Amino acid sequence: MRLVLVSPLYPPDVAWPAPYVKELAKRLAKEHIVTIVTYGHLPEQVPDVKIIAIDKRRPLILRLIAYVVALWRATRNADLVYAQNGPSVELPLAIVNFFLQRPLVMQWGDTPAHEYAQKHFSRRAIERAAFAHAKVITDAPSAKPEILPLEPRPDAALAEWERSWNTHLQSLKKEFQNV
Amino acid sequence: MSKDAKQLWEGYKARELAVIKPILQKLGFELADEQPHLGGERYLMQAVTTQSGKKLILIGHRVSDGKKVVIKTAAEPAGKRELRHERRCRQVLKEIGFAYQVFFSPEEIIFTERDGRLISIQAFIEQEKTFLERPLKEQFDFALKAFKAQESAHATTYKHVRIIERTFGSMGADGYLHLGKTFNIDTAAREFLEKNKNTIDQYCGFLTHTDFVPHNFRIKDGTMYLLDHSSLRFGNKYEGWARFINFMELHNPPLAAALVQYVRDNRTQEELLALKCMRIYRLGEIIWYYRNTLPQSTGDLLKLNEARVHFWSEALKAVSNDREVPFATIESYKKTRDTLRSEDEKRRQVGLH
Repeated sequence: MRLVLVSPLYPPDVAWPAPYVKELAKRLAKEHIVTIVTYGHLPEQVPDVKIIAIDKRRPLILRLIAYVVALWRATRNADLVYAQNGPSVELPLAIVNFFLQRPLVMQWGDTPAHEYAQKHFSRRAIERAAFAHAKVITDAPSAKPEILPLEPRPDAALAEWERSWNTHLQSLKKEFQNV
Repeated sequence: MSKDAKQLWEGYKARELAVIKPILQKLGFELADEQPHLGGERYLMQAVTTQSGKKLILIGHRVSDGKKVVIKTAAEPAGKRELRHERRCRQVLKEIGFAYQVFFSPEEIIFTERDGRLISIQAFIEQEKTFLERPLKEQFDFALKAFKAQESAHATTYKHVRIIERTFGSMGADGYLHLGKTFNIDTAAREFLEKNKNTIDQYCGFLTHTDFVPHNFRIKDGTMYLLDHSSLRFGNKYEGWARFINFMELHNPPLAAALVQYVRDNRTQEELLALKCMRIYRLGEIIWYYRNTLPQSTGDLLKLNEARVHFWSEALKAVSNDREVPFATIESYKKTRDTLRSEDEKRRQVGLH
């Protein structure tokens, strides 16, 4: 499948869902053609994954236009779009998918942004426009355990993390097929 | 020891103390008899990476209740600018809500201008023990928590960049490379930084404390208090790590090794490379700093500063070759340092780290 991952954050950003999107792309790229459309200056690279990053240091209106253009180009030949919520991607996604009507799966990666949207009419309207026909994924893998040099290696936690990713990939696969 | 620099400092100190004492009395404060921040090599120090000005840092107490305080005072424009800048940094850090749950500031008691002098009085933070007296694991945990808090502040939006640049200042790869040339670091190191310019740039835009070492923070009841806010800026995420790890190569090598290992085990290869670049950059800076002190030094201090240039050059070689600084090099330098340090400086160092 040709997959487009849409995310407001991506490493070197550290906040969620940045590390999740990078890890997901790495794993999905083994079976699919993956493109990430995100914001950033010099994104961390993943082998066999195309990353389109729109510089966040541009003024708001310019970066939104640039994001719409990039998302349009990446999505027009895609089989499926998998998006994380967040105001900076919702408006471009609403515009692009209004015309292209690509199958859309989404995850509430940025819970505070979702909660904020519930309380504000305009933000809620944009969020609804972006995800009106999206399949929602609630399942998420656990955060990667840290290896701390002065403590025993967390082998059990790392194995659990790997298992949580396998479960997550299975449920994504199911949703991707059902869309 | 340079008589000129020393005499100038002694003169400045005596004049300022004579003026500031009555002002402090009127404000309800008294100076302590022992003033650790006025002696030793204090006169030779100047920050090279942040705004720098002449100021006095004094210890005293509030007359009404005996509360111990730290008094910073400056009469010259550069010193005043630094105190104002530091205060503004504290305030903006609070306003933008970044990392403030980890870095606390000592309570501000007075910030005022009297007789042309800017006076900043803050509560003195008593700590149960110094950072280096804590167990290694505790040191590691505190350091990691502090670095993560800094990293959580990433200037990723236009609005943030404007607030941030106005207040803290920011530095990108071009700035680091430019300063690297100013520091006159050796050709191989400079070429290494130039070759990895993109990696340096990739991790820029993060909040970083350019002088994050134990004498700039205190820990009380598990809370970390930042004493110097003027060295905060937005720059490479690993600049603060680099300064701290380089410092620990001398003062606590197992902690330096543990922090490098943490980055190796948990971060990307690019990040490990960014850390190496920043360590090289900061080592270039410290060598440059001590080279600059040589013309102002004579006698034992000249010998000591030459030993410092040699030691940090050895550290630069080790880091460039992905090695730890040899134990023998560290021990030999420490021995030389302890022999050559003045009694005043030895007193100033007690309980500092």
